[in-house]
Amino acid sequence: MSTKPLPFFDPQKARGPRETPDVGGKQPTSSSGPMSVTLLVSRIKQALADRFDQSIQVVGEISNFKRHSSGHLYFRLKDANAAIDAVMFKASAKKLKFQPTDGLEVVASGRVDVYEVRGQLQLYVEHLTPKGTGALELAFRQMREKLQGEGLFDPAKKKPICRFARAIGVVTSPTGAAIRDIRRTTQRRWPGMAVYLLPALVQGEGAAAQLAEAISLLDADAHRYGIDTIIVARGGGSIEDLWAFNEESVARAIFAARTPIISGVGHEVDVTISDLVADARAATPTAAAEMAVCDAAELRTQVDGLQERLSRTVQAKLEVSRRALTAVLRSVVYRDPTAAIRTPAQRLDELTHRLRAGMAGLLASQRRRVEPAANSLAALHPATLAERAHGRLARLEDRLAWVLGGLSKQAGQSLAVLERRLAAIHPRHRLRLARQHVSAADRQLQAMSYHSVLQRGFSVTRTADGKILRSTGQVHAGLRIETQLSDGKIRSTVDESHADSADGKENTDMKTKHRPRRTDTQQGNLFV
Amino acid sequence: MGKAKLTFEKALEALERIVSEIEAGKVPLEESIDKYAQGVKLVERCREILDSAEAKIQLLAKGKGNALEEAGELTDEDVEAPSDPSRD
Repeated sequence: MSTKPLPFFDPQKARGPRETPDVGGKQPTSSSGPMSVTLLVSRIKQALADRFDQSIQVVGEISNFKRHSSGHLYFRLKDANAAIDAVMFKASAKKLKFQPTDGLEVVASGRVDVYEVRGQLQLYVEHLTPKGTGALELAFRQMREKLQGEGLFDPAKKKPICRFARAIGVVTSPTGAAIRDIRRTTQRRWPGMAVYLLPALVQGEGAAAQLAEAISLLDADAHRYGIDTIIVARGGGSIEDLWAFNEESVARAIFAARTPIISGVGHEVDVTISDLVADARAATPTAAAEMAVCDAAELRTQVDGLQERLSRTVQAKLEVSRRALTAVLRSVVYRDPTAAIRTPAQRLDELTHRLRAGMAGLLASQRRRVEPAANSLAALHPATLAERAHGRLARLEDRLAWVLGGLSKQAGQSLAVLERRLAAIHPRHRLRLARQHVSAADRQLQAMSYHSVLQRGFSVTRTADGKILRSTGQVHAGLRIETQLSDGKIRSTVDESHADSADGKENTDMKTKHRPRRTDTQQGNLFV
Repeated sequence: MGKAKLTFEKALEALERIVSEIEAGKVPLEESIDKYAQGVKLVERCREILDSAEAKIQLLAKGKGNALEEAGELTDEDVEAPSDPSRD
């Protein structure tokens, strides 16, 4: 029996299900053939986008870090079991304050995607922060290490701060706490101190550049204004607020400056890179101003002290001189200069007397025999000799008194001159009293020294210019002279003068009018 | 005389020197008076500087080239009142 073919179904001819178009994630069937790589990668990309449709945060360790010349950052984020490639484009990377390094644990936020060209899974990082510490803290540490390594903090390079600045310069904001505190402090300590402010932004965009420029400009022109010290200051704030003072440009400007710089940024606990580079660090702007400006009140006290020592020492010196002079005035030799001579003078008198008496008796009987020779002997009479000796003694006495009187007068005058000068310089000088003492002593001395002598009949002769005559050598014929007696003065002219001859004999033809004439009663007489 | 006035530092130094010399006692009396006169002048100079009471803050600004020039005084109005008294 032959079978009739079935009208519908022929297994030989079966072609399988018809191909359907790929709509919304349906898996392609095996009969459509292998897909292209592009298709595969784009489907993976799509699947990824569906699953990770938002920004994610990933924590991991950086490795294989590379900063491309384009400014883009390429690295790998990994942990113990897995790793993923990461890229941070320049636009995001330039905002980083810290330097990413291999081994640093970070939290990266961004999007995952597939880099089609290489079929590579990547994390496109938009924000990067260090794990466990702030980005700024890390950046600070990194900058500190870097600059320290270059020697910017070297203590040997720090300049001493001037004690007596002629003027100070300030770099800070013209509004705000810092300049207010600085102004208040300088006015309190030394109102006359010249303060120059070159304003700059102290936080935000562009602050670092402004600060760095202001520091350089002020340093360059410091000598023109007599600025000996520069203060860089800012009031308190968070690490973000103070960030400009951690920037490299500011640090380098401070380091390069020739003028000593005091850094007074923030509060006591805030340490910035500027503080570390500066020649001196102050905890606050107020402390910076105190470091830069001395306390005028203290200095005034010091100056007063010096003036006191000056006055006291000079007065003491004068006192010493005065005492020495007074001691001399009081000494026996001074008060009674002729004391030493008196005893011998008296002895001479006695001897003269005895001699005279003896001679008179002895020669009485020999009178007639020696009469011819008596006259010539008269000239050799001891009494005459004694008389002459008396005369000389008296002259010596007077000279001594004169000289001492003159000396005391000179000393008194010099002292008076010095005292007057001192009084002129220092009006409140108290030596006037001492001066009166000296004048009084001087007067006493003068009283003792020559008035009694004048009253005894001696006189003082002076030349027209006031020099005392002591020797015939001082005069010549025609010279006008003035003689002082005990009760007045005589003016006259010299006729002629003669000096005594060498053996002391008087030349009896002296004709000068004022020579006191010796009367006969004063001469000794052999023939009494 | 056209001599520039002594700075505070120099005046104080000179004054201390004079006082030391006189106190050391080796200066003769007349010279002591001369030095006293000098000392008094130095004291006056020091006091002159200490007692000056100008008390202003001079503002500077960038002028031609890179030179600075004076740009008025900082007045009290420029300095704002403290917004947070606890900050300082």
